[in-house]
Amino acid sequence: MAYELAIIFVRGLGLGAIYSLIALSFNVVYMSSGILNFAQGNILVLAGLLAALLSPPEVSVSLWLVLMLVVGCMLTLAVAAQGAMTLAPLRSSTEQHSWLVSTMAVSVIIGASILIVQGPFAVTAPYPFPGVRILGVRTPFAYLAVTALLVLCFVALQLFLRRTRTGVAISALAQDLELARATGLRVRLLQVVSFGISGAILGVTGFVAAPVISIAPDSGISYILSGFIAAVIGGMGNLYGALVGGPIVGVMAMSSAYLFGGEFQNLVLLTLLVAVLMVRPQGLFGRMSTRHV
Amino acid sequence: MLSVEALTAGYGRIPVVSDISMEVEAGRITAVLGANGAGKTTLVKALGGLIRPMAGRVLIAGRDITGADPSTATRAGVRLLLDGHRVFPDLSVHDNLKIAAITTGSRREFELLCDEYFEVFPILKQKRKDYARTLSGGQQQILALTQALLCQPKVLLCDEPSIGIAQALIPTILKELRNFASRGGAVVLVEQQIQMSLKVSDTALVMDRGSIRLSGLASDLMSDDRIRKIYMGN
Amino acid sequence: MSNGSLTGGRGASAPVSQSLKDNGGLGWRTLEEPAQLVLAVAVVVACLGLPALAGNVYWLHIAQLCCLYASAAVFQNLLVSDANQISFGQGAVFGVAAYSFGMASGLNGLPLAAGAGLGICAAVLVGLVLAGPSLRVQGYYLGFVTIAAAMVFPEMLMAFNEYTNGIIGIGVDAGALRRPIVGRIDLLTIVVAVTTSAAFLVHRRVRLSRLGRMMVVSGISPEGAASLGFRPGRMRFAAFVIAAFFTGIAGVIYVPVIEFVSPHSFAFEFSAFLFFAMIVGGQGRLIGPLFGVAVLYIVPNVLLVDLAQYRLIVYGFMALGVMLLFPDGIAGSIIRLLTRSSARSANVAVDFHALGAEVEQQLRTSSGGGNGTRAGTQTDAEAPELVRLHNVVRFYGSVAALDDVSLAIRRGGVHGLVGPNGSGKTTLLNAISGFVRPQGGSITVFGRPTAGRTVADVARLGVGRTFQAPRIYDRLTTAENLQLGFDAPARAPGRWSAAFAEANAGWLHREAASLTHGQRRLIELYRVALSDAELLLLDEPAAGLSPDERVVLGRLVRQLCSEGGKTILIVEHDLNLVWAVADRISVLESGRLIADGTPDDIRGNPHIERLFTGSDDEAEVSDAQR
Repeated sequence: MAYELAIIFVRGLGLGAIYSLIALSFNVVYMSSGILNFAQGNILVLAGLLAALLSPPEVSVSLWLVLMLVVGCMLTLAVAAQGAMTLAPLRSSTEQHSWLVSTMAVSVIIGASILIVQGPFAVTAPYPFPGVRILGVRTPFAYLAVTALLVLCFVALQLFLRRTRTGVAISALAQDLELARATGLRVRLLQVVSFGISGAILGVTGFVAAPVISIAPDSGISYILSGFIAAVIGGMGNLYGALVGGPIVGVMAMSSAYLFGGEFQNLVLLTLLVAVLMVRPQGLFGRMSTRHV
Repeated sequence: MLSVEALTAGYGRIPVVSDISMEVEAGRITAVLGANGAGKTTLVKALGGLIRPMAGRVLIAGRDITGADPSTATRAGVRLLLDGHRVFPDLSVHDNLKIAAITTGSRREFELLCDEYFEVFPILKQKRKDYARTLSGGQQQILALTQALLCQPKVLLCDEPSIGIAQALIPTILKELRNFASRGGAVVLVEQQIQMSLKVSDTALVMDRGSIRLSGLASDLMSDDRIRKIYMGN
Repeated sequence: MSNGSLTGGRGASAPVSQSLKDNGGLGWRTLEEPAQLVLAVAVVVACLGLPALAGNVYWLHIAQLCCLYASAAVFQNLLVSDANQISFGQGAVFGVAAYSFGMASGLNGLPLAAGAGLGICAAVLVGLVLAGPSLRVQGYYLGFVTIAAAMVFPEMLMAFNEYTNGIIGIGVDAGALRRPIVGRIDLLTIVVAVTTSAAFLVHRRVRLSRLGRMMVVSGISPEGAASLGFRPGRMRFAAFVIAAFFTGIAGVIYVPVIEFVSPHSFAFEFSAFLFFAMIVGGQGRLIGPLFGVAVLYIVPNVLLVDLAQYRLIVYGFMALGVMLLFPDGIAGSIIRLLTRSSARSANVAVDFHALGAEVEQQLRTSSGGGNGTRAGTQTDAEAPELVRLHNVVRFYGSVAALDDVSLAIRRGGVHGLVGPNGSGKTTLLNAISGFVRPQGGSITVFGRPTAGRTVADVARLGVGRTFQAPRIYDRLTTAENLQLGFDAPARAPGRWSAAFAEANAGWLHREAASLTHGQRRLIELYRVALSDAELLLLDEPAAGLSPDERVVLGRLVRQLCSEGGKTILIVEHDLNLVWAVADRISVLESGRLIADGTPDDIRGNPHIERLFTGSDDEAEVSDAQR
């Protein structure tokens, strides 16, 4: 029993770190533009696929690090471009369904491309680090790496949003869009930059987590869902919330897989999502917005 | 400095101000007076680029900025100070200033400029590291004004800077507007309160239901009973 | 009653004459929708009939599938475009119906009819489950809940494989339905044709119905709907259930068409496909789903059949391309092109004289309306109280919006409510309607306490209201916008007099999108008058109106009171208007009621003048204290 619990927690937290990173990336875009990028799941999977395709079987640590940067940069640019394209038809408001369809269509295109390149089966990526034992549980090193990455990304994002002029301006967009416009901030540009940042997070996460994520044409949607639930639990648009929400979702998913079987994982997550929305729609750290008639 | 020609603007399909023409001159404070709902805020938002005019032209020093994005308008020299002492609540005072200085390039230049305003408003220096939401309404208004001045505008549009702040701070703010004007800037001061505004301004316009009903030198309008009539309805 | 009708008097001719030159054309909804309907049915019949007659089994099969997908997409359209409920779960609804049918008839040998019935019931059940979260969350939150549901459904089919045959799927023999009955046409083809045509017809019928209008209004503006006495939550349920029922029918018929169901057919991608088909086809357009299915299914699956591996990517690029190039979708762009030359963009000439006369006639004949007995031009101190506020308190944070306000509104007359910005006027209006709950004190409306009543409950007591931004719904025609007043649950259903409807068909059936702001204000006011509410709350009705329009508005308010028998509470910044129409005026400052009296009392009060001109030290001090 203790061993099972250890598995649930170690793997759950590792998985949770991936969900937290997806949630962080959701939040960066959402903060600046009010858009949820439905293509995120498949962008993560795409980064994993690139890792599998680019890495030679016995990849060295230095080459691995170089490739990580390369994939990160590629996806930064790609997602920034996607952002520019998504934002283009939107005039002032996001109260249109156009971004919903265009981000989902991009997701379909990525999934279809993976299918063409790789066929319907999951692939695995080579990794330069051997597995380790944590609490007696054999754990792929990728779980450790991605947890470290989460801490790194969180700290870097906090520093960026608090210390740099661009970062501060992006947080300003989330606080008061009209004032940000009056201040003369280049709103559209900042929104594209935040898409790019989200691409960087997803790209590096997908690369680092490549051995432990499912690199298959149809797995993107389940990462979007888990990442979204993590973001909602913590409170949409809240970075601390994303940090906490991911592990909650990860541990829930692992324990439901253990208790009921893997096919019930999403059902439990759906129940969790509905429960959170019914009881506390603003999430753990979110503030309730007041609406005026 | 700022010329407005036959401007019509509003929200969605609703025109709130129509056919407004006015000239705002450098070195002067122009008061825009009018009762609630007369269209004063809509007018300055259209001038600042926050809402796209339906018709008419806006020129700053001869350059046409009609329908320009606010990021273009601010860089062209028209900066709107929104009403309600609005600042970014979850940013520090320092960060609020940092992102507002959109025309300043280097860090050094920014620090120098800040020091200038810290001398005028020592409270900002004192609270530099505090979140803007912890400031009082008046302190927030001072911060918002400094934000606006930091981007070194040619024309400063102030929407009801005296609303919601402590009485004691109003003269400080008005004095700084006067300083700005005396350095060659142009100020458009939107206010509801008649006497106070006329005392500080050089010229004034009175708006009613979306149009300009009265304009002239502030000193002449001071004794004009028509303003009161426009406000109260006749 | 010299004027004879609620037209706002002679001044009303101003907005009428603005654009008399253009009164011939009908609106796109009236003109285009029957055409779209006929076209859709014709296309469906042709697509099914031609291959059936030619004996081409392959094309007949494709046509049957596309028709069923299109009918599911029609109800996706109803749910998202009409009722404004984002659901990505319609594929799951479709699949539940198909699978229940398959399990009942294919595995357990139930007769086909019984299995089909069970399938539809199961679909409705899922619709109810999806509707649950819509009471609490909207927009993309709801979208994600339904996405999750659509993902979970095929997983459950796998998890309970002892009942569902799991990945193997279920075969259903429907040979009996494939025997030709009319010439070479079999029963199944006829069923598909009827179902698909019916889907378009039902959508159009719903749009023309009271329920349809209530769904649209509840989706766009829940507060606007509630203020008319509609219950937005129930409308959401209704939309989900109607959509589930008809999607279920399509899902059930899918089984004999394919003769096989498997979990793979109902993966999340299928739900996404239905949503895409609706948007790409032209969101909100009746015929849109037909275009959407044609482009997104036939092009990748049939025309590119030799390039099977590129099927999905073509599908993705088509959806993306259409979205970026034609944000209105295919049908939307075509209709826009066809109607560009007609007078769509021109202003509608609303005949407010005729409308005013008609509304007065309606008020006279309706049960609770203005029969003249309670008409009065002066507020009578003896008249019964319609509204009573008792020490009402409402704070937002530390700011007082209403601070110990006690006030009575008596039957008859126009009651003005004035005060500077932020003095609590709109909060007071919202507290009476039930949008804002007092934190202290009590409010009674028509003698009943509002505590514990929803906005719709209060509206049903006889309270109507207008909003600062008029609630005119561009998706409806002008007639439908007015008709919402007839739809109000507090009154018996009404209809236009035949003479009026005929004489004014020219502008009544134009889309409301081309109404000017002034026309919107008046139409909203006439609508709320038609709803038979006895008490009307008007929130800054003059904002954005021209001086001429203000004169018309003022007369109309006066006439609604004196001839329509309404009691009116008006919040307004335009003091000119208030002096002109109000019998009694209350003044709010910083959430406190500082004066209450006749216009003469208020006008002569020097403190109140200072409050509005702000030219006195005293006013400045009180301002600073806020």
